[in-house]
Amino acid sequence: MRLLRNPLAQFLGAGILIIVVAMLAVLRLSDTAAQEEAIDDAVATTELLAESVAEPAIPRGLVDGDPGAIDRFDRAVSERLLVGDVQRIKIWNKDGRIVYSDETELINQTFAFGGEELAVLTAGGHDAEQSDLAKPENQFERSSGGLLEVYTRIWSPEGVPLLFEVYYSAEDIEDRKARVFSAFRPITLGGMTALVVAAVPLLWVLTRRLDRTARDRERLLRSAVDASLAERRRIARDLHDTVVQDLAGTAFALSASARDGGAARDELDRMGRSVRSSLRSLRSLLVEILPPNLATSGLHAALEDLVATAANRGVIVEVEADDLEGVDNNTAGLVWRVAQEAVRNTLRHAEAEHLHVRVTTAGPTVLLEVIDDGRGFDPNEAGDRTHFGLRGMESLIHDAGGHLEVTSAPGQGTRVRLQLEAR
Amino acid sequence: MEHSRYRLAVATFATLAFVVAGTSASVANDDDVVVDGNCSKRAEYQLKASPEDGRLEIEGEVDSNRVGQTWRWKLWHNGSLTGKGTRRTKGDSGSFEVRRVIVDMAGTDWSTFKARNIRSGEICRGVVGY
Repeated sequence: MRLLRNPLAQFLGAGILIIVVAMLAVLRLSDTAAQEEAIDDAVATTELLAESVAEPAIPRGLVDGDPGAIDRFDRAVSERLLVGDVQRIKIWNKDGRIVYSDETELINQTFAFGGEELAVLTAGGHDAEQSDLAKPENQFERSSGGLLEVYTRIWSPEGVPLLFEVYYSAEDIEDRKARVFSAFRPITLGGMTALVVAAVPLLWVLTRRLDRTARDRERLLRSAVDASLAERRRIARDLHDTVVQDLAGTAFALSASARDGGAARDELDRMGRSVRSSLRSLRSLLVEILPPNLATSGLHAALEDLVATAANRGVIVEVEADDLEGVDNNTAGLVWRVAQEAVRNTLRHAEAEHLHVRVTTAGPTVLLEVIDDGRGFDPNEAGDRTHFGLRGMESLIHDAGGHLEVTSAPGQGTRVRLQLEAR
Repeated sequence: MEHSRYRLAVATFATLAFVVAGTSASVANDDDVVVDGNCSKRAEYQLKASPEDGRLEIEGEVDSNRVGQTWRWKLWHNGSLTGKGTRRTKGDSGSFEVRRVIVDMAGTDWSTFKARNIRSGEICRGVVGY
């Protein structure tokens, strides 16, 4: 079953099937071509025998059944008419009487004419058909394997039209069919087999490549699922460590104030700050979960939301952002994602005191800089995972024709610089 | 088989007829019919019909015992001229022989052979039925 799903096995099966079908088609075409060729040859031979041998030798009296005329004609031409694969000769008059045949018992016997024979006898020309050996006029041909009969019109010296009929062996058609088929065979069978043989290694390589790609895609999907799960955990953890804690504290304080008969003014002010801080954390989290619509809310507002939690961590943040009007959504989205990743790295790992996010435009060029004064890191250190997300974006940035530069050193802070050409 | 019996009956009838007329008929082989007799003067003739591949072979022979005589001959098939020619006697026996194949028609085929010595006018005439 697994073998049947293999593309290579499927190709080989289809290839063999096509070859078989093609061979059958060629056999059929050979049959038709050979039959047509044999009929054409038989017609040409009949016309030649009629014009060159039979008609000039017909003596007066033959049409009337004169025995002497029949003898003379028989002696003169019977051997010259029975050439090649000619099996029988019959000469008919318009009444259906055989005035001469090499089978002498047929002479002077009368049989019913068919429409085709009468048409040729009347209008001339020729016709050819497979002999019906059940007909009484073919009683002496029944032992043969099959005959092709061709007839044409000739004239007696008295000016009487006669039907000159020649019977050919059908074995000749079989021989011709075999010859035509053998002529086509190297082209069809050989060519198609060569094509299949040539395609098999190519398909094998492609199949392996497809398998490898499928495995890579599966691994990527699994990584995406893992990353999604990790992100949900991180969000849950962030909510638990910040907003939930702050709101819980505020709730306890409010309950305590209610018990004590009302809160002091400074106490209420502190609880208000706590709720606003929680609100900022929630908004920051929201923009992380769902990227903002930069076209409607603007990049500056989005960046402000992004760094909203920085104050809670004691980081002084400065955001500068030019209006990205005229910049396409993809470019703006990429600027946002790089900024998000860089800010996230600073807030989580840098232990910075200052964070500066700046987006400037100069003509079609969009420049993003995220600079902190944190502890920095060694960019050449293979085990460093703090900027793994940015590295993952490098291919996207490269595809967009942009350039990303991360400059850092231990104790020297970090500078992330993205340059993109707006389209 | 019916056909052979019929032909044998015809050959028997022909033999009886030619015995009465001064000629004799005999069956050389099973399938051959032979007629011989005297010509109008000193020569003798023999006429033989034998089947050959769906046809009949007719052989006419004139024996005059004189070498170098010229004879005109004719052969009729059911009364229709099927062959004619001129021959000279030769060999020790002073004879000539003609041979023609005729079509074996339905029914009895009557072959009439006639030869005439150009100089003496002697006539040989025989009929064979097959």
